[in-house]
Amino acid sequence: MNDQNPLPPVSAQLPPPIPPVLPAGQPRRLGDDPSERLAIPNVVVAIEAILRQPRRVMFQLRQPGAGHLIAMMLSLSVVCSLIYGVVVGTFSGGVQLWAAPVKIASGLMISALICLPSLYIFTCLSGSRARLVEIFGLLAGLLMLMTILLIGFAPVAWIFSQSTESLPWMGTLHLAFWFIATIFGLRFLEAGFSNSEARSRAGLNTWVVIFLLVAVQMTTALRPILGTADTILPTGKKFFLAHWGACLSAENNAPASRSRN
Amino acid sequence: MTAIGNHSRPVSAFLGAAPERFREWIMSRQVHLIVFCATAIVIGAGSYGLAVGIWRGPWQALYTGIKLPLAILLTTLGNGLLNGMLAPLLGLNVTFRQSLAVVLMSFAVAAMVLGALSPVALFIVWNTPPLTAGTTSSSPEYGLLQLALAGFVALAGVIGNVRLMPLLRLWTGSAAVARNVLLAWLAGNLFLGSQICWVLRPFIWDARRPVEFIGPDPFQGSFFETIFNAGSRLVFS
Repeated sequence: MNDQNPLPPVSAQLPPPIPPVLPAGQPRRLGDDPSERLAIPNVVVAIEAILRQPRRVMFQLRQPGAGHLIAMMLSLSVVCSLIYGVVVGTFSGGVQLWAAPVKIASGLMISALICLPSLYIFTCLSGSRARLVEIFGLLAGLLMLMTILLIGFAPVAWIFSQSTESLPWMGTLHLAFWFIATIFGLRFLEAGFSNSEARSRAGLNTWVVIFLLVAVQMTTALRPILGTADTILPTGKKFFLAHWGACLSAENNAPASRSRN
Repeated sequence: MTAIGNHSRPVSAFLGAAPERFREWIMSRQVHLIVFCATAIVIGAGSYGLAVGIWRGPWQALYTGIKLPLAILLTTLGNGLLNGMLAPLLGLNVTFRQSLAVVLMSFAVAAMVLGALSPVALFIVWNTPPLTAGTTSSSPEYGLLQLALAGFVALAGVIGNVRLMPLLRLWTGSAAVARNVLLAWLAGNLFLGSQICWVLRPFIWDARRPVEFIGPDPFQGSFFETIFNAGSRLVFS
């Protein structure tokens, strides 16, 4: 068939292949690729960069004035977690439409703040030469990537929120989405860590476990996030496993109710 | 290069295209490709829906003929953002529109297979004992119909994804990345698609209700909860 619509060759339009996040063998130095040295002036570019060029974000975090980028990433994380929180809140409606977003956004930020010192110490113990501001930036990048991905999951979460009355089911679903998003966020953090001349990953791996535990405990400390209760914040203290167990047994005793923690 | 819409035989050109040609279409003629794929989904899945629904009657056939393509298009749109984010994170550098076009293309292939199988489905429906007052949801004829029709959907889905794999491999240059992207998209689409079908039920028949476009409680329960509860009953009872 004749060519009726001449176009430039496809190879000229193809985006460059994405380099692996964790390159095998000798890692390239940040900034070796000129595209990694391009500034990140706004939020849209930041989102594009963290999804397609994570090394560009890592390079910019080492430059003077990285504070602006960090502030941008943190602000975006707050906005995205607020949006996802609204979707979470639609399960119960009412007060939870504003309480759930506030709790999720603040819980995420508090968890990050609690874990920042240990992240810095563990990276130093691993021989990393990253400065505190860079570590803080990598953590902000983790939060941003995580919350952006949660926005991607939001339509799926919403449709299930409207369809089911089962608190454990929705809780499990949100935890699964959060876990998947966190895995991608942690991959970003690990990639940044691998460029900081660290000798070992043991410290970072330990920190990952701590961060995950703090984050899931935060969901219990700020309960109810999904269901409802008499008070906006809990009156008693509970370990997250005990709380989840209580939710499951309550569901088995009285199915189809949203009026629990 | 010729846009898909300009081919004299677009269906055979689309189904027989090599991965390189698919990539050319996605890179250059997205609007043509998206319109073509959406049309293929409406016609292919729609005709299969008509064949499925006719067991109950003409109205159910019409409703299922509308709902089946709708479920596919809603799944594509609902997961569009997520699929577009997952692709670069897993190593495939595509834009959101390109990822949407790739997923839509895979669904279009599946819909064309379904459309091609709709005469066979119609034949099965025609050979199935008709719906009577004595038919229940546990009647063997209903079970057989469900199984056969779901089998066709599964077959079409597999073919759609098998067609997608070489394109992803060509695009990424890595079989592992292509497999990861495909699995991630597949998991997301199956997860959301199942629930959208649940919301849009019934597709064949609801013994308790008259013919209607969507049941009275579309957002009551979820597909996975029902499967889980049924499994629990089987195991623990």
